[in-house]
Amino acid sequence: MKKTDQKNATLELSRRRFIQASGALGVAAATGGMSQVVFADGKKILKVRAYGDLRSLDPAFSQGVIDEEIQSSIYSKLIQYKPGREWGYQLDAAESIEQATPTTIKFKLKEGIMFTGGHGEMTAEDVKYSFERIIAEATESTNKPDWGTLKEVTVDSKYEGTIVFDEAYPPAWNIALPYIVGNIVSKSAWEKAGGKVDTTTPSVSGPYMHKAWEPKQRTVLARNPDWHGGSAEFDEIHILPIDDESTAQIAFEAGDLDYTRVPLGSVSNLKASPPENSTLEEYPSLFYVWVGMNVENEQLSNENLRKAIQHAIDVPSIMQASYFGAAQPSTGIIAPGLVGHREKSLVAPEMNIAKAKEYLAAAGMEGGVTVTLDVLNKAANVTTAQVIQATCAQVGINVEVNLHESGAFWSLGDSSAGERYKDIQLILNRFSMAPDPSYATAWFVTEQKGIWNWERYSDAEFDKLEAAAKAESDNTKRAAMYEKMQDLMEESGAYRFITHEATPVIYNNGVKPAFRPDGLPLFRYFASA
Amino acid sequence: MLQAIKRICGDPLGLVGLFLVALMVLSAVLASVIAPYDPIALNIIDRLQGPSFKHLLGTDQLGRDLFSRVLFGGQVALKIALISISIALCIGVVLGMIAGFGPRWLDNIIMLLFDTIRSFPTVMFALATVALVGPSLSTVVVIIVITSIPTYGRVVRTQTLSIKSNEYIQAELAMGASTFRILSMHLLPNVVGPLFILASMDIPTVIALEAGLSFLGMGVKPPTPSWGSILNDGYNLIRNTPWPIIAGSIPLVLVTLGFTFLGESLRDLIDPKLRKSL
Repeated sequence: MKKTDQKNATLELSRRRFIQASGALGVAAATGGMSQVVFADGKKILKVRAYGDLRSLDPAFSQGVIDEEIQSSIYSKLIQYKPGREWGYQLDAAESIEQATPTTIKFKLKEGIMFTGGHGEMTAEDVKYSFERIIAEATESTNKPDWGTLKEVTVDSKYEGTIVFDEAYPPAWNIALPYIVGNIVSKSAWEKAGGKVDTTTPSVSGPYMHKAWEPKQRTVLARNPDWHGGSAEFDEIHILPIDDESTAQIAFEAGDLDYTRVPLGSVSNLKASPPENSTLEEYPSLFYVWVGMNVENEQLSNENLRKAIQHAIDVPSIMQASYFGAAQPSTGIIAPGLVGHREKSLVAPEMNIAKAKEYLAAAGMEGGVTVTLDVLNKAANVTTAQVIQATCAQVGINVEVNLHESGAFWSLGDSSAGERYKDIQLILNRFSMAPDPSYATAWFVTEQKGIWNWERYSDAEFDKLEAAAKAESDNTKRAAMYEKMQDLMEESGAYRFITHEATPVIYNNGVKPAFRPDGLPLFRYFASA
Repeated sequence: MLQAIKRICGDPLGLVGLFLVALMVLSAVLASVIAPYDPIALNIIDRLQGPSFKHLLGTDQLGRDLFSRVLFGGQVALKIALISISIALCIGVVLGMIAGFGPRWLDNIIMLLFDTIRSFPTVMFALATVALVGPSLSTVVVIIVITSIPTYGRVVRTQTLSIKSNEYIQAELAMGASTFRILSMHLLPNVVGPLFILASMDIPTVIALEAGLSFLGMGVKPPTPSWGSILNDGYNLIRNTPWPIIAGSIPLVLVTLGFTFLGESLRDLIDPKLRKSL
C-alpha cells in the first residue's frame, strides 16, 4: 500500500468513526447512555448473556439451549421459531414446506443460499446430509431422539426434497425442524472436517459467523457478509457466559450487557424502579417443577399416603416464597400455549388439610409419618422444600429434607448408578422442555424407570397413550391424549405439580429483541431500536 | 478463677472478648426464652420485612423472624463448636501423649496419620465428606473432629517430648510408676494449659467452618437455623433486602472477635512470656 493510500484509509476510517461516534452520542443523549454499548469500539456490537459457555457448534452434539442460541444464529434451518407470544414458525431456508402425507414432509429451498468458506450453494443434498447424519448410528448423536421416527431424506431435485418418517411424527414441526437438529450444515465442509466439528465450524449460512471463542469469557459472532437474508443487524454479537442471574443483572445495570434474563426475585423491584432506558418483560417458561413420589418405595407404595402428601402441599405458598409471586401454579407438566395443556389440575393448588388427614387416616397413619424429600441444593428448591416441610407438618407428615449437590442429585434415581434409587421417597424435580408435549411425557413411561422416571411410575394406559399421541396429527385428539396422561399421573398420587416458573428478561431500549414464547432469545432476529 | 476473670477484665481487649463471648453464650443458652418467635415457623404474608419493633432484624423469604433465627443459630454454632472441639481435644490429647511418650514406631505411625489428615484442605475434605454421606449436624461435627485432632495432637506431643526427659518423670519411672499414672498425674496437667488457649482460638474457626458449610447448603439440614444458612438466604435475597445478610454476618463477626480477644488475653494470663510477642 502506498503512503497516500494509507493516509486516505486513515482519513476514511476517521470520518466513519466520527459519524458513528456522533450517531452513538446522539442515541446516548436520547436514551440516557444505555445504548452506547451498541456502538462500542466503533462497531455495532450486541452484548448478551448466556447462562453457560459454548460446548459444541455441531448440531449433532449440541448440549441444548446454550449451544442452540449460538447455532441458530450461524446456521440456517428450513423453518425457524417465530418470535412472539404464540408458538409458530416462519420460513428460513425453505421457500416452501408442507406436510404432504402423515409420514412425509416436502420442502423446496430458496435459491442462492451460500455457505461460507467457499462451500457453495445450499442444496437438498446438504439437508439430507444434515438430517440423516444425526440419525445415523455411526454418528452417535446425543440429539438423535429429537428426530423421532425419521427414516430418510430423499433428494427430488437440486433444491427439493422429501423428509420421510417411518411413522407419523407431528413433533417434527415443533422440536426438530425449528430446533437443534433442524440446523443445516454444509455437506462438503463437514466431510472435509471428518464428519464432526467441535467448538469451531468450517462453514455457516446464517446471518452471523462464529468469529471467536474465549472459554468462560465470551463467544463472538460476526456479521456474515454472504447471508442470503441481506445484512445482519450487528457487526458483532458478544455472548457472555454468566451462570448467576444476579451477577448478570448487575452487569446489565452497569451497561455491560444489552440483554439478560433476571432472577425472579428481582422482578418486583425492577418493576417498581426499572433501570433507566430499559424494558422488563415476563414470559411463561416451559420448565416444569413437581414433587415426585417413588411408588416402589415401601412406605410410598401406599397410594393413600401419596394422596395425603398431594393435598398437604400448598402450591400458592411456594409461589410466594420461592418464586416471589412471579410464577403461577402449574396444572401438569405441559405448559400453557402447548397442545395438551390442562386448564385445571385434579388436585387444587391450595392445600386441603381435611382431605390430607382423611387420606392419611385411610393410609393407617393417623399418628403421623416421616418421609424424606431429596432436593437439589439451589435457593428456590431449598425454600420450596421448607414450605413443603411446614405445610406437611400441619397434617402430621414430618418431612426430612436431604440437600444434594448437582452431581449427587442427578444420579439419585439412576438405577445404573447403584441402589440409592430405592431410598428415594419424595423428590423435588425440575425438567427443561422443548415446545412439544411429547417432550414432557416421554420421561414417565415404564421403560424410563430408573433412567428419568424416578417415581418408578408405571401405567399401561399411559404408555399406550404416549406412543399414540406422538403419532397423532390431529391436534384436538392429541390434546385430549396428553390431558388424559396428566390426569393419570395425578390420579396415581405420585405427582404434585408445582409450577412452570417464568422467564423475566430485561433489555436496553437501544435494542429491539426477539424472543420465543417461553422467553428464550432468538439472537438472529435482534435489531436496533 | 475469680482472679483470672479479674485479670482478664483488667485488659481492655480481654474485657471486650469476655463480654462478647458471654453475650453469645447467654443468648444461645437462653434462646428459647429470649426469642420472640419460633425460628422455624413460617409466616409468608410477613416475608422480607425490614427491622421493626415486631421483628427486630426483619424477616426472611419465608416470613421467619431473623432475630429468633440468629439466636437459635447461635445455639447450633455453639453446640457444634463445643462438642466437636471437646471430642477433638480429648482424642488429640490421648494420641499426642501416646505419640510423645510411646515408642518411636508408634510415634511415627501417629504422626503419619496426622500429616495425612492435614494434607487435605479442610474445606475440600468437608465438601467431599458431605457429598458422600449427606449433610447433617453430626456430619459437621465428625468433619471438625477429624480435621482438628492433628492440631491438638501435635501440640501435646511436642509438650510431652519436652517434659518426659525431666528429672521428676525419670524419678517416677525409676520408682516403677505405671505409664497411665505418669501420663495422667504428671504429663496431662502440664500440657492442657496451652490447649485451652488453642481451643478458645479455634472456636471461631469452627463456627466459621460450620457457617461456611451451611452457606453452601452442606451444613445443618433445613429448617434448623444456622448463621450460614441465614447468610445464604441473604445472598440470594441481596437485591430484595440487606437484612438477612446483616443478621447472619453480625454474630459471626462478633463471635470471631470475642473468642480471639479472649484467647489472646488467656494466653497472656497463662504464659506472660508470650505477652504481646505475637
